[in-house]
Amino acid sequence: MPIHEKSLIRPENLKVQENIELEGIDVSGHWSTFIESRVVTDYNEAMEEEIAALPGGEFIHRCWQCGSCTNSCTVNAINADFNPRYWIYLIRTGMESELLRDKDIIWQCVSCNKCTYACPRDVVPEGVMKATAHWLELKGHTPKSHSTIFDEIFSEQVIETGKIEDGRTIRRYFKQTGQALRQPWLEEMVKRLLRNLPIGMLTRMGLANFITPKTAGWSGARDAIKEYVSEQEAHHRKVLGLDDLVKAAENEL
Amino acid sequence: MKKSDKKEKYQEVAYYPGCALEGSGHAYNRSTKALGEKLGLKLKEVDNWNCCGAMEVKNIDPKLQTYLSSRVMSTAANKMKMDVVMAPCNGCYHNLKKAEYDLENDQDSRDVVDRLSKKAGHETYQAGQVETIHALDWVKDTIGEEGLKERVKNSLEGIKIANYYGCMYTRPRHIFPEKDAGPGSESTSKPHFMDDLLDAAGAENVDFPLKTACCGGAHTLSDSDTSTRLVSNILQTAEAAGAEVIATECPTCHSGLEMHQIRAEKTLGIKTNVKIIYFTQLLGMALGLKPKKVGLHENVSDSFDFVKKKGLA
Repeated sequence: MPIHEKSLIRPENLKVQENIELEGIDVSGHWSTFIESRVVTDYNEAMEEEIAALPGGEFIHRCWQCGSCTNSCTVNAINADFNPRYWIYLIRTGMESELLRDKDIIWQCVSCNKCTYACPRDVVPEGVMKATAHWLELKGHTPKSHSTIFDEIFSEQVIETGKIEDGRTIRRYFKQTGQALRQPWLEEMVKRLLRNLPIGMLTRMGLANFITPKTAGWSGARDAIKEYVSEQEAHHRKVLGLDDLVKAAENEL
Repeated sequence: MKKSDKKEKYQEVAYYPGCALEGSGHAYNRSTKALGEKLGLKLKEVDNWNCCGAMEVKNIDPKLQTYLSSRVMSTAANKMKMDVVMAPCNGCYHNLKKAEYDLENDQDSRDVVDRLSKKAGHETYQAGQVETIHALDWVKDTIGEEGLKERVKNSLEGIKIANYYGCMYTRPRHIFPEKDAGPGSESTSKPHFMDDLLDAAGAENVDFPLKTACCGGAHTLSDSDTSTRLVSNILQTAEAAGAEVIATECPTCHSGLEMHQIRAEKTLGIKTNVKIIYFTQLLGMALGLKPKKVGLHENVSDSFDFVKKKGLA
């Protein structure tokens, strides 16, 4: 299958001469289009290493730019700007400012793993996307995405109780992202669900609001996990030099 | 493993329903249990199980997900002395398989799991202690097509079905070493176990090109517009292929299809009529179980009139 990628030439760099005459011949118009060259000087040499240090990014160095990931990508099929191959290239060459142009869509990877399936070099592009989105947030380039907020609410509940009750997770998510729970489509869904449900089931669902499902004897696991997670977080902060950044900012103030 | 050995081995399995099957996917739970009972297969629910990590915990830390999944397998192996775990949910199935692969191949994962297990106070799961299978493997390897044909009471004849497997059942390939393993094994590019079973029950499977397409389940709430577009693509393609029903085998796919079928209608004006039914519900009804017995009333999309019309109720 051929690889289709949207042109990576920026529209503002296309130069078309409206009125130009060369040796008495009119050469105006789009056929004499030039691409303005650009000079990149601000390489971020630490970027690849930092992203590789975050979970999922470990194998980014294996990439040889075949483009199988972008070719198979679910999100790329509905938004041509979503281009894992190109982002991996930018990360590996340290072109941070170029990567930041797409900072607001990188989190949209749906983890379908088609890229990981297709990749001949076991880069695990899905992991790289997650690591990159995480890196953007840790470095303060983007606020926490809705996806990250959902992941955190979900994981917090798993860590606390061992289990998930989906109604509670959804309500907390809507609240924390400032969205109204009364969305027309959500109401319609509940209406359709209630149409056929017996009383017993409704009672069970109602009770779940008050009684959180729990894994019995979970406290040992909970404490062990919390300790591990905070260690990992400290490690990521160290690798990305976040504490130094904060200190430097404080000194300036 | 020989087919006859599997048949023997899967008669009694540790059953891991997972969180979704206790909530939004309860119809899948009910129909899986009803099907097992009808087929004389024993399900022993994993004692005091925990969440496998779903699609969210790995984004906090992948090894934490490995630990969560390993705890379920450890309970099945060490406490219940079982050697097979059956998970109907694609997410649980995938995560247990992934944990199995990582624990077999990665020392760091083994170290983290060992450390967390010891602190949590239970035995560390060792790779190879249990075999994780999907509900599709379970029915296919114990009863199989021939067994189903003998047991069918209400044939699914005249029902056109698009079989939808989603992402987690086949991807990434390396965590499913038993797939793509020659004749009789499941294919990761064109899975067919669900097609085989429904075909044996009399259904007419349509040629559906989006069997392993993504429904956007991981971002079903956090990026709903993307999910709605992905789902309406699946629904419209199924209808274009002539399907009246999309058969599902994953609670996230199932509720994603149902939810975004409504959302597509409300936000994009795309209305589709294709029914969304778990394969366990279809098989159960084919074997003579009443629609309520397989939880048809717990689906959001209403298919009561449809199954009545097709002679299944």
